[in-house]
Amino acid sequence: MADIVRKKVVSVEGATVRERLQAMDDSAVVTAFLGGEERAFSELVTRYQTRLLNFVYRTIGDREKAEDLVQEVFIRVYRHLHRFDRSKKFSTWVYTIASNLAKNELRNRSRNPLVLFQTVQKNFQDEDRPLQFEDTTSRPDDMYRKRHLREVVEESVAKLPEHHRHVFVLRELEGKSYEEIAEITECNLGTVKSRLNRARNSFAEIIAPYVD
Amino acid sequence: MGYLFPDPHPISMDCREFSEKHLAFVDDTLAGIELVRMQRHTAECDTCARQDAKVRRALLLFRNLPPIEPSTGFSDRLEARLQEAHQNDLLLETTRVNLKRGVLAATFATLASALMLAYIGNTLYQTEVARDVVMPPVVAIATEPDLAPITTSTPAIVASASAGLTIWPVALFAEEAPVQFAHSRFEMAKLDR
Repeated sequence: MADIVRKKVVSVEGATVRERLQAMDDSAVVTAFLGGEERAFSELVTRYQTRLLNFVYRTIGDREKAEDLVQEVFIRVYRHLHRFDRSKKFSTWVYTIASNLAKNELRNRSRNPLVLFQTVQKNFQDEDRPLQFEDTTSRPDDMYRKRHLREVVEESVAKLPEHHRHVFVLRELEGKSYEEIAEITECNLGTVKSRLNRARNSFAEIIAPYVD
Repeated sequence: MGYLFPDPHPISMDCREFSEKHLAFVDDTLAGIELVRMQRHTAECDTCARQDAKVRRALLLFRNLPPIEPSTGFSDRLEARLQEAHQNDLLLETTRVNLKRGVLAATFATLASALMLAYIGNTLYQTEVARDVVMPPVVAIATEPDLAPITTSTPAIVASASAGLTIWPVALFAEEAPVQFAHSRFEMAKLDR
């Protein structure tokens, strides 16, 4: 009986802690983790895993590799969180780590030309991609059109030069400010704006024949 | 007065300026007057209007891409990798501590060896130096011993031969010559017997 009560108390405590962590901003969660609250790290993972996965996936185009890289990001965060300068934004720091890993991956891939962005992406499209986002109430031809459009968009992004794609994804998908992008990509503000402008125009040019 | 102080923000705009400000136009970060000028330019210039629409439509498509979700095993794999990383960190820490101790011990041993070697070397060196020492020449002065005069009652007879003779007859003569001790004490001893 006492055990049951104790378990109940622990689980209630756990739920309370989780709720408390959920209500905190990133900085407070980081502080909690550094203060010994291990569950705070799970909260950080929950907050960032999908965002980082989308960012890395749109940058490198390989779902499986993107998951590996996101895990690597969290491992680095776990190991080096004590070194994080808490006067800065946690999200910028975590995106910087992800961005560097994605860049390294692309660099390694360019050294090994057997693995191409498009090839990897195409393989993924057909098999691994969850289809929940597709409205099952739609007519089959609509579903086909949507899937085709998505493929076209992803292929068009993949055609952008690496440094343009990086900035483009951070801005258009993650909604980062120019300043944050400059910090993440370690470029100056002017370069970020110039790259983003070029990336937008190039992307529009690439995709135009498919959507007109 | 108007032509003397031209308006710094004329309402009309050329395509180049439109292109330069298009980024901010799309992001909706332009100041009011600039926004109006951009809008007016799109109304006047078909080419820029088309480009603007093309970019906006493309961005809309990209922004509406459905997000992907982590796969089902993602959390478990992450958990396992974090555990592994934690274990590795602990192992690394232990290794580092052991290594530090090892390095300390090795340093100590090396120092001790170095000291010992230095001592031995120093000792050997000093011995060698001692062997090679070149002392300043010393002039040996030996005083001639004072020969005590023979104080015997009978003067000693010493066999002698002139230097002009060959050696063997001298020897013969010496045998035949009466033998007398040069020292009186020996003579005395013979007499006692």
